[in-house]
Amino acid sequence: MRRILAIARKEFLHIIRDKRLLGVILVMPLIQLFLYAYALSFDVKQLPTATLDLDRTTASRQYVDALQQSNYFLVDGVLTSYAQVDNRFESGADKVVVVVGAGFGDDIAAGRAGNVQILVDGSDANAAQLGSSYAGALSRVFGAKVVISQIEQKGLNVSGAGGLTSSIRTWYNPEGISAAYFVPGLIVVLVTMITVLQTANTLVKEKEQGTYEQLIVSPISRIELMVGKIAPWALIGALDIIIIAVVGILAFGIPFRGSVGLFALSSLLYVICTLGLGLIVSARATSVDSANQLGSLIAFLPTFMLSGFVFPISSMPPVLQWLSYLFPARYFMVICRTVFLKGGSPAVLFPQIAALVVFAVVIVVLAASLYRERA
Amino acid sequence: MADRTDSVETAIDVRAITRVFRNVKAVDDVTLAIPRGEVFGLVGPDGAGKSTLIRMLATVLAPTSGDALVFGHSVLTDPHHVKPRIGYMSQAFSLYGDLTVQENLDFFAELRGVPHRDMASRSKRLLEFSGLTEFRTRQAQFLSGGMKQKLALAATLISEPDLLFLDEPTTGVDPVSRREFWRIISGLHRDGITVFVATPYMDEADRCDEIAFMTQGRIILRDTPSGMKGRVPGRVIEVAVNDYRAAMPVLRALPCVHSLEVSGDMLRVLVSKDADACESTLRDALTGAGFTVRHVTPSQTDLEMAFATLIPTAAKNSDTSDADILAVPE
Repeated sequence: MRRILAIARKEFLHIIRDKRLLGVILVMPLIQLFLYAYALSFDVKQLPTATLDLDRTTASRQYVDALQQSNYFLVDGVLTSYAQVDNRFESGADKVVVVVGAGFGDDIAAGRAGNVQILVDGSDANAAQLGSSYAGALSRVFGAKVVISQIEQKGLNVSGAGGLTSSIRTWYNPEGISAAYFVPGLIVVLVTMITVLQTANTLVKEKEQGTYEQLIVSPISRIELMVGKIAPWALIGALDIIIIAVVGILAFGIPFRGSVGLFALSSLLYVICTLGLGLIVSARATSVDSANQLGSLIAFLPTFMLSGFVFPISSMPPVLQWLSYLFPARYFMVICRTVFLKGGSPAVLFPQIAALVVFAVVIVVLAASLYRERA
Repeated sequence: MADRTDSVETAIDVRAITRVFRNVKAVDDVTLAIPRGEVFGLVGPDGAGKSTLIRMLATVLAPTSGDALVFGHSVLTDPHHVKPRIGYMSQAFSLYGDLTVQENLDFFAELRGVPHRDMASRSKRLLEFSGLTEFRTRQAQFLSGGMKQKLALAATLISEPDLLFLDEPTTGVDPVSRREFWRIISGLHRDGITVFVATPYMDEADRCDEIAFMTQGRIILRDTPSGMKGRVPGRVIEVAVNDYRAAMPVLRALPCVHSLEVSGDMLRVLVSKDADACESTLRDALTGAGFTVRHVTPSQTDLEMAFATLIPTAAKNSDTSDADILAVPE
């Protein structure tokens, strides 16, 4: 116990003496949180839009007004001919151009479908997809209103008529805020990066400094050395999780609906996994550089790509889906999102927590057996 | 030949230890016994295997074959009984540069289980005798080379080991610090601590109770410093001449000259036993060749000369006979 404390205290001294490292631990997560949360935002609002009204009737003006009133489109240009469309897209002034065809008003008055073209700039795929679906939806709503008003004008009562209404509601994240989806995931990614890379360095650094041999000639067991090395970083990992969670809740309005105890337990299990992974790298790497490369390879990439952080696991090729089971990030990702957005009882999250327990045990045993007592 | 008994009077009992790196035998079948309380010096060129041998004895490196007993405990199968009794100072600076002098000492004291009640008094004493008291709060990386080595020694000594392994402890250290360092080692010797030191310096080897010469993974010579010098056949004569480089071939051509070496701006000439006759032969030969001879005086054999003379024979012997590599013919 005394030797574990000696190692842990020494590690703490290394950390607080290294200003750059302190920055990496405490400031980088915040910078990355804001960067990712904004850069990865899939929310599309106020799409710059131009309109080309070739009809110029009351009906066509009503339709353009409806576009303008929605929060999704910012109508900032009124065109007079098709020739101008290219110019708007090329200059990047607009992402969407809505063309109301000639005869729109007559068609509607005659009970035929009005002709509307929605042109989107496909070079911004995300905006294009959302722009076209928003405009499509808007047109259907507008069309339905027209139909209803026409029917009512003809003196028929539509309230009694049977019809099919599909109403789509997004649960847990009703406003579709990307940040709500990303911040819990960011906790997983950032904590993995910090803990794996720092512990991956720790033993290699001792080897390069020559202090490793001093540890070897000391009467300390490998388990004592590992626990002493892990302990300070487990605390820092926990601190980072708290920082990101609190900032996420305060600055991005992320809900926290689950149990704090459950979240703390699974965070601890996950941090033990990542620290153990770091030590495995450190026990085998021959230099600080190779430790960094190996560390990011086995921790960062799977966490980023195979955890469901950016790409949904269910839409991956089967091989990658199987591969994702081999990394603990996948399970902690589910736990984080559930605990923040849904709540989630221990019973619901049991498979994920059980998986993390298995990973923690296997990784720590593996790390201890890979660590060599002699150079 | 080495004493093979396991009595505790033998601090280190090395038994046919070998270490192979890839295909190179860094240490090749070394057998060696070192009595308790001795200052044992290991000399030899770079790459001779000195560090590898020390690291195996200090339980840092596993032997490829063979074993060594430290106070009767095998470094191979029983390192946990060896570690608490030894201290090891590696060639490179091996402390934490970002920790202060005091923090380094405290860390190694805690790590090696120094009783809490002894920690303060021991570190105070070690800081005093290494002259580091006023630098207690300085980070180790900002110490001078000599101070770093003294701190490393202090950190090694904080657990009061019975046996100390020092791997070239004064390499890159200024002469004043080197002298102080050896003053400390002499003090340890008086306290009965066994010291195993590798050194490239002949003046340091001269201070040891016994020395062994290692080359190509083998120990080919072992004796006391005076015994080593006594084996040299012949006498040494010191020659001071105006152009010593030009004088060297002249002297080598003389039949009574066995070998010679440069020492500062003088030449040390090893001559056959009849030194008095040789002295005048040397002087005459040099004057005859037009050199200005400042002096020609008899001198003591030193270790450098002893090794230069003894090694070629010993090396040849160890190549042909594995049986008794420590025996050197007259």
